[in-house]
Amino acid sequence: MDIIESKSWVEWLITIAKFAFCFVPVLYILLLIPMERRGAGFMQDRQGPNRSYIKVPYFGRIRLLGYVQNMCDGTKLFFKEMFAPKGASKFLYYVAPAIPFAIVFLSPCVIPWFGPMVFEWGGKVVTISGSILDSDVGILLLFGFSSLSAYGAVLAGWASKSKYSYLGSLRTSAMTISYEVCQGLSMMGLLVLAGSFSLTDIVSWQEHHVWGIVAQPVAFFCFLIATIAETGRAPFDVAEGEPELVAGYHTEYGAMQFGLFYMGEYSHICISSFLVATLFLGGYSVPFVTTETMQAHMGGSLAILCWVLAFLALAFLHMMHRYSKKLAASRQSNKNVILQEYKLYKLVGWVAALVFIAAGVASWMFYTPEMAHTAAGVNTIGTALGTAAIHLLVLVVKSVMFCWVWIWVRWTLPRFRYDHVMNLGWKIILNIAILNLVVTAVVAKLLGGN
Amino acid sequence: MARVIKQKPMTIIERLYIFEAMRGLWTTLKHAARGLFRYEELPTISYPEGQPEVRNSYRAKHRLMLRPDGTPRCVACGMCAAACPAHCIFIEATQSDDPRIEKRVMRFDIDHLVCVFCGLCAEACPVDALRMDTKQIVFEHRKREDFVAHLADLTDWDPKDYPEDAQSQMAPGGTKNAEARKVWGMEVK
Repeated sequence: MDIIESKSWVEWLITIAKFAFCFVPVLYILLLIPMERRGAGFMQDRQGPNRSYIKVPYFGRIRLLGYVQNMCDGTKLFFKEMFAPKGASKFLYYVAPAIPFAIVFLSPCVIPWFGPMVFEWGGKVVTISGSILDSDVGILLLFGFSSLSAYGAVLAGWASKSKYSYLGSLRTSAMTISYEVCQGLSMMGLLVLAGSFSLTDIVSWQEHHVWGIVAQPVAFFCFLIATIAETGRAPFDVAEGEPELVAGYHTEYGAMQFGLFYMGEYSHICISSFLVATLFLGGYSVPFVTTETMQAHMGGSLAILCWVLAFLALAFLHMMHRYSKKLAASRQSNKNVILQEYKLYKLVGWVAALVFIAAGVASWMFYTPEMAHTAAGVNTIGTALGTAAIHLLVLVVKSVMFCWVWIWVRWTLPRFRYDHVMNLGWKIILNIAILNLVVTAVVAKLLGGN
Repeated sequence: MARVIKQKPMTIIERLYIFEAMRGLWTTLKHAARGLFRYEELPTISYPEGQPEVRNSYRAKHRLMLRPDGTPRCVACGMCAAACPAHCIFIEATQSDDPRIEKRVMRFDIDHLVCVFCGLCAEACPVDALRMDTKQIVFEHRKREDFVAHLADLTDWDPKDYPEDAQSQMAPGGTKNAEARKVWGMEVK
């Protein structure tokens, strides 16, 4: 019972609620799939999938900006028959797709989602760390989890008893190993500067000094390339290079087993982008503003946040308006149906814009410093939660930006040849990373750092 | 003689790949931004609700031009059938009721399953009777026989669809029909 009484109920509530962050990669799949499909379309001057619709009473055929198509595809994948090829090792064949997908529930545990919450509750100062598991070796744990997902590919290739799958899984294992070396060594420079393996420490070092991308630009590039390679996405997707290997390790998979591989890949991207954002882009820290400043002017910070969101809503409305004007002038036979659909989006846009503006004004006007701090100069729980929300939002924005980099690179660069990939990993990036580490270490020592 | 094509060797910047990759990324970013912020400027036509713009010089389905009294202009000379490389035009002539005109067409069939839309028939026509400016580019029918356009089908067009063409306006229903009848001076049957 001591362990229960060691914390107040609010502390327990927040500690348990933090486990919800385990589901962030799964939520990111819902974001990444439309982002990938429509982003790819836009890059190729297409529109991307936009045909499926749901019927809604007043507004008619709602397509949710093309999102319904993804729901349909997911449903189709989900209800397809699962089968195994003859002679496959059944148990491993069915378990393999689940491995990369199960791993993603572990990885978010060590990522700091917001700065440590410090607030007063019941006469005591309570501190809650931003990650679910505030480990001293957080980054190593994350690498461990992330490399476990290669097991899915390796087992899948081995179990499906197909030469193509086997070759694909061989390539995956070779590439994962080589690029993990590059990944690990390229971020060592940053660890030397921060002097810690804990992700929370790394972020707070960046918050108080400079962002990792400024301190270690070369390492950033090496790390980004190695991480893209490690997720097995184009231009490094030699493991599933369709001209050579049909589809690589998931050649024999269909239905939701394939879907699990697909989702595992997207969640891996999500975790990797969170990692890059945390290591090199200051994690949850707001650019140019320290957490202390933000907490001192909580009302203003929230107001600015709301107004940024309101601006985005207005920009969306502007684009909607421009597009529907063009559509109304066109001779398209279903334009009235589409314009009716757009009324819903415009309504949502207007409501969002007005709510955000009102919320901004309210937090600007009515948030007094007395609400932010108790007499002892410690934050109240409201300020702590507000800070955490802003931190989380900033981290999400940064990681979405990096997710976009993944998609962007995939639809731009052609696939490398397998030996080129290996050359790049072992002969170029690894050497640059080691050189960077040595230089960083020497400079840091000379300048009297850690 | 074999022609030797000299390929320009890559410069050091190009061989480094990273800068060229950046250039490529910039290009795709521009396109993606256009798609996102200027969605309406994408060249996609959402067919079949939106139809492509067809110019009247496009070689589409045929039509037979009409005299001011509504009979086909065709004099059944058979030039179009002779010019047709696909042999898809079938013409049967009969005697004309008009003393000034020798023959009129009794059967004029164009098999659009065989037609290659080369436009030679329209060029061969000595009286400008056959044209391909209907802008009809979609042919969909249930049966093979329906793809054969008969005389009634070819002459069934509305002068209102060709407002800029003076020749079409002389047909019945056109703006210049009365004028043209006067010039012809008689009611031709």
